[in-house]
Order: sequence, then structure tokens, then C-alpha cells
Amino acid sequence: MSNDEMTRREFMRRALTLGLTAYGLAELAGMDELQAAAGGGSTIAVASSKSPGPLVRAAVDALGGMGAFVKPGASVLVKPNIGWAREPHQAATTNPDVVAEIVRLCKQAGAREVKVMDHPVDGPDALVLNVSGIRAAAEKAGARVIPASSPALYEKVKLPRGKALKSADVLRDLRRADVFINVPIAKVHGTTTLTLGCKNLMGTVWDRGAWHRSASLDQAIADYAAHVAPQLVILDAIKILLTKGPKGPGRTATKNIVVAGADQLAVDAYGATLFGRKPTSIAHLKRAYELGVGELDLDRVKVTHV
Amino acid sequence: MYERLRRLRRASRLAFLTAFALLFAFAAYPLKSPIPVDLFLRADPLIALSAMLSLRKILLPLLWYALPIVVLSLVFGRVFCGWVCPMGTAIDICERVFRIRGRRANQAPQLSRVKFYILIALVVTMLLPAAHRSAVDLSLSQSVGLSAVYLMDPIALLTRTFTWVGLPAAQWALQIGNATVTAWSYSDFVSDHPALARALSPLQLAFGSVARPVYFRLVSTGFVMFVVVVALSRYALRFWCRNLCPLGALLALLGKVSPLRLAVSDRCTRCMRCVNECKMGAIAEDPHRYAGPECIECYTCLAICPERAISFTTGYEASGREDELRLDRRRVLQAVGLGAAALVIPKVDWSAKPSEAGERVLKISAARLIRPPGALPEPEFVTACIRCGECMKVCPTNAIQPAVGEGGLEALATPIIVPRIGPCMQPCDLCGRVCPTRALQPFTVEEKSYLYLGTASVDRSTCIAWAEDKQCLICDEACPYDAISQRVIEGLGRPAVDERICVGCGMCEWVCPVEPLGAIRVGSSGDRRHLTREERQRLREQAGKESTDESPYPGV
Repeated sequence: MSNDEMTRREFMRRALTLGLTAYGLAELAGMDELQAAAGGGSTIAVASSKSPGPLVRAAVDALGGMGAFVKPGASVLVKPNIGWAREPHQAATTNPDVVAEIVRLCKQAGAREVKVMDHPVDGPDALVLNVSGIRAAAEKAGARVIPASSPALYEKVKLPRGKALKSADVLRDLRRADVFINVPIAKVHGTTTLTLGCKNLMGTVWDRGAWHRSASLDQAIADYAAHVAPQLVILDAIKILLTKGPKGPGRTATKNIVVAGADQLAVDAYGATLFGRKPTSIAHLKRAYELGVGELDLDRVKVTHV
Repeated sequence: MYERLRRLRRASRLAFLTAFALLFAFAAYPLKSPIPVDLFLRADPLIALSAMLSLRKILLPLLWYALPIVVLSLVFGRVFCGWVCPMGTAIDICERVFRIRGRRANQAPQLSRVKFYILIALVVTMLLPAAHRSAVDLSLSQSVGLSAVYLMDPIALLTRTFTWVGLPAAQWALQIGNATVTAWSYSDFVSDHPALARALSPLQLAFGSVARPVYFRLVSTGFVMFVVVVALSRYALRFWCRNLCPLGALLALLGKVSPLRLAVSDRCTRCMRCVNECKMGAIAEDPHRYAGPECIECYTCLAICPERAISFTTGYEASGREDELRLDRRRVLQAVGLGAAALVIPKVDWSAKPSEAGERVLKISAARLIRPPGALPEPEFVTACIRCGECMKVCPTNAIQPAVGEGGLEALATPIIVPRIGPCMQPCDLCGRVCPTRALQPFTVEEKSYLYLGTASVDRSTCIAWAEDKQCLICDEACPYDAISQRVIEGLGRPAVDERICVGCGMCEWVCPVEPLGAIRVGSSGDRRHLTREERQRLREQAGKESTDESPYPGV
């Protein structure tokens, strides 16, 4: 064997060394930090009407139209509540018509790709997506519906400002999408009193159990919201769940309201009033406010009714 | 002409194996198959015989589907074995793939009679009353027999192997593909090259459907059982079909009256090709004679005979077929004894769980005996279940698992729900729709609110809310029947189960964040299969009247 040729053993050794070094360096570089600017000027739009499609459009138009959020060629992540295998009328999951309308608006604004994703609690995914009606509606509107039930879809990130939560396995798409639109449904919740936008973000992490095991679930929700700022929150309050939340079946009330805004806490604050609650009485909202997530005092929020 | 017949047979076998695999694949949510997905199991006369003899009941759904095979065998002999049986085809394929070269020619003839002794022993277990659950509920079960047919029935065995071994392996491969493609498509490199991302997207879709590969607790047992069946071919090809298969034995008995026979003319030169080529070793030293019960009507001999000396005949006299079984009387007695001895199996009763509400002598090992909804009362259930694994295959949450020790030796591999692996999802009725023997009776989604499987209970020593004074009511959130409420103590809600409403679906145990066991667990104490459905429904209605539907939040 000539000297300038590498032996197989030598090749393996070098490849292994190189690989391990690269891997070590990558590990040293560590996890990324999840950082989000706090929401800007607190303007929210509250639309009330009979039909979901026009409702969403009216609320978004009052904020300057979807074009103000979604630029042509942008990739959009839409995160409705698809937690449970419940039918739309049971008000445990986001209204499929609301989701479909948002997808259509994004497409009209020139979005390159719209993904609808959630991490369902119930399983299997096919069942939840079918029963909730969201797969059919969103796919018809032109979105890709992806149940986020594979750990490969998540990445571990630091939450430097977290008090109860220091890190989370976050949906990769959350950081990669150009626009993130949170689409919660307004419901009562056995543990956190209400579930609105901030609580809906829990469906973008892999290990939800960690939040429950943490020092305080309310604080964990606030911690996470302080690091994830959706460009737009569209709260579905067309039919709200009044009892036995979050899964129901319970008593529902038809409100025919959609609340939209870029300040996620302001939207949640308005959502709380729909249940006759003071926003500050909802512990996780109060803690989110303390972390500077947004505005909780509705007197200081410009509310446009359409 | 005979060569064409042979090719036709090969096509038929592949077609039936494909059909078997397709029906297996179709046994999944949302279960929209025009033909029953358990068709092969239902059409299996041995399963029908076993279910009807051991339950002492005519089961029409089984009878109608098994009848064609019975008629087919009466007319044409063991055509099922040669042309249809997916197990035989699977063995043949494995023999080829793994280059197993066992002998073809006639082996020790007494070995091929073993399958008849096995059949005799099985029939004895079906007929004799099995004293299930010892003295506790003799009244319920003194008439039902014991199910042992699951050990040897080829269709149940193959379905089980597909479920326990094939499915996890296939999904595991898909999962790896999915994870790899997902990792690529989210890498910075691909993100920077949209064309690459577009190219990956269909790949991701192809792999994307598996969230979590299924897992079955007896996967290694299932694997070993099938490997043994295939490995036996090293001694003689199709060893299973020749010597062990009780279904083959049953069809051979039916085929004895078949008028379709083979005759060998004087042109035979005793070249012995047919003797050496016969896969079943049915032709002995004298090529003019063949053992009728061994012939699977493959017609290989017709095709390969260089002198074209073999032909079909319908004449009983003219044919070279010998129909005598030549069973050894001593062996028959031994088989009967073996079948009777199997009656000790229910006595190996390390986990008796009587269904009678009044006689609750639950043993700890049976605490986790949670049957799927629609299950017959325990003794009948264990007798009727053939462990085919069809319910485990169809269960969309992987909740249904083979029992290991939960029900004692007689209930080995019967379906139970293991909530920590998966819950019984509320809007689902699939397992009741695929059971070939109706050990799991059909049920509707609405009925599930009173088909009590068990009852959940909170372990306050590990529960996050009770023991650590932290907010956590995931179980309350997830409960589809609203059986969990929160008891507010010191300003904090703590979960409590209403055992009149809880059906034991295991959703709470599945979602509980306390690792590894969960602080809320389903036990078998709430199992009410001893009651009729109407009685259970009344029970549920009474509970409903007392429960309130008030919001716990002031001002709401």
C-alpha cells in the first residue's frame, strides 16, 4: 500500500474524530434562547355578527387587514385549539370556519405556505382532526394540517426570563414561520379558570406535563407567553364553553364574537370579560402582565367594535 | 393444461395472502371496509367450531362465513390449504426467502397424524366444562368450555403475528423515516434552500402519518411463535401444514368424502418424481397410491409427471387415494387425556376476578384486568376469545394489549386495556366491530357511558394537587365522561372521582403527568359485566340524576 493513500482504519478514525468534534461543538453552542418582543401598541378589534367568516374578516380588517401581518411570500403558522376529540358545537375546539377563514385571508395576502398545527391531547390524531372538523375545513381553504404529535417536530429552547419554566420543547415551526397566528377558543378551565390565548400556547410544546410539575402552572403559562409573541391573536368567542372546561361537554353560550389583536394579553383581557371576570382575577394573565407580556387594563387598550 | 392449473394456484395463493394483508391494513380508524376486516377469521371453520362448541351456542355470523369453506372441502378436499390459506403461503415465502431446504419426500408417516391428535385434544377442551374461577362462579361457567384453539389455529396465529410483530416493525420503520426527513427539513441548510424543502415535503407526507409506533407487550412471544413455525420447515418443508395444523386436520376429515380424486395410469415408470416433489409428502413409496388426508390439491404431481400418467377421476375405486387416517388408538386416548388435563389451566388461577358483584374476592394481580368495552362476562369472554389480535390492531390508541398475567394462565394474550400505553377514546367503537367470535360485542359510542370497564382512583400520596398543593387537574380536563370533579381544600382544587359515572376508560391515567405510574389509576373493581346492558344503563341514569351541572365559577 502506498503511503499517500489512507488506510480504512485511518479513515474511520478521522471521520469519527471529526464527527465527534462537530457534535461536541454543536452541543457547546447550546440551546437557542426563545426571545420575543413584547406586543406593540395595544389595539384590539372586537367583531360581532352571525356568521364566522365575515366575523373574522371584519375583525382583521379593523386591524388593517391580513396584509398588515402577512407579507407576500411569507410562511404562516396557524395554531387553533385542536386539543380534544369534540365536535364543533361542543365548543371545546376552535370553530373550523374561523380557522378556514384565517387560512383564506393569509392566502389572499400572498402567503407562500399556511400550516395549521396543534399538539392534540386526545388521540389518535386522525380522530381528533376529523371529529373537530378542522382538518376538512382548513385543508379545503388551502392549508397543510399537521398534528404535532411527533417529538421530531420540537426543539429544546431556553426561556431566560422564566420564573417557573426555564426551558421548553417548542414546535420548530414556531421560530421558523414568518408569521405566527394564535387562534384560541374562549372556554372555562378547571385548573386555570379560563383558557384563552396564553393558555392555548401550551399546545406548541411537547412536554406539557413539565408545566404541571413546575412550581406553578399559572406562572409557567406566563413564562412561556413572555417568550412567544404571536404576530396576531384571533380569539374565537362565537360559542364559548361555560362549564366543564376545557373538554366539556358542558353548558355553552353563543356570543358570536371574534376578538383580534397583536397584543395577546389585551385580547385575553377582553376574553375574560366575556365570562364576567376581571382580567386581573385570572392568575396566569396577571402573572403574564407582571412579566410585561402586554396590556391587561382594558381602559388603556384601544378597542374597536365592528 | 396442468401447468396452467399450477400457475393459477400460485396466483390464487398470492391473491389471498394479499387480501389478508389488505384486510389487516383496513382494520384501522375510520374502519370503512365494504367486507368485514375479520373475514379470514370468520371463514375459518375451526374457529367457528371452537366458538360454538365451547360456548354451546349457534353463532350465525360465524356459521355463514365458515360454510363456504366447509362445502369447498367436502367437494374438493383440502383446497383451502393449497389455494387459500395465508399461513401456508406465508410459510412458503419464508422458506424461499430464508432458503430453508427441508426434505420434501415422505417423512415418518406417523408424524403427519399428530395434527389429528392435536385436533382431538382441542375438541375435548371445547366440550368438557371448564371450571372457570374455581368455586366462585361455577353457576355461570359450568357449561362453557375452555379456549385452547388460539394456540394452534393458523389464521389466528398469523393475524396475531401481523399485529404484534409486523405492525410495530412497519411503523417503527416509518417513524425513523419520518424523524429523519423531519430533521432534514427543519435543518438550517434546507431552510435556506426552498427548492430542497419543496422536494422533501412529499417525502415527509409519505412518512408523516405515524405519530408513535404501536407497541404490544407480547411482541417477543409472538415473534418466537412464528419463527418456530417457520423453523420447523428445516426438518420437512411445510412442517406446520403437514404435521401440526389442526385446521388442516379438520379440513382433511371433511375432504374424505370428496369425489375429486387422482388416478395413476399404467404409463407410470416409477421415476419417483411425484414422490420427491410432493410438498406434503402425501405420496409414499408406491406412486400409485397417495394419502388423501395429506393431499392439499396443489396438483404439482399432475404437472411434473413426465409420462402424464396422473389424471383426475371421480371414481372412488379407480383412484389411488387412501382415505384411512390410521390413527393409533393409544395416541388418541393420550390426546383425549391431554385435552382433559388442560382443564387444570383455569385452576392456574393466580388472578381470579369474579364478575359477580356480591362475591368480590379481587386478587391484586387481577386489579388491572380492564377489558375493552363490549366484552362478554369474564368466563364467556375468555372462552370465546381466540387471541387473534384484531381488536389490538384496530384500536387507534394502542390501548388494547395482550394480557400477560392479569387474568391468569387461561386468559393469556386476551385483550386488556393498559391505560398508561393508551386510553379507550370516547368517540370510538372499533374493537366491537372487528371481533370474529363476538367475544367483544358490538356497541355504540353512546352506550360507552355505561359500559363500565373499571373505576379510576386517585393516589393522593403522589397526586400533584393532593400531595404537593399545586395546581393540576389534567385528569379533570381530559375526562370525557366528566366523572372527575375538583374538591376545593385550602383554596386549591384537588381531583376526586365519581365512581358512579367513571367508566374506567383510562384517559385520566394516560394524561397524568406523574411518572411513571400516574397518580390516578384505573382498577378493575368497577367492572359491571355481570349486569345486562339495560341494568348498567339504569345504573348510569340514576347517577346522572344526582349529579349537578353547575359552574364552579361565581359570576359565570
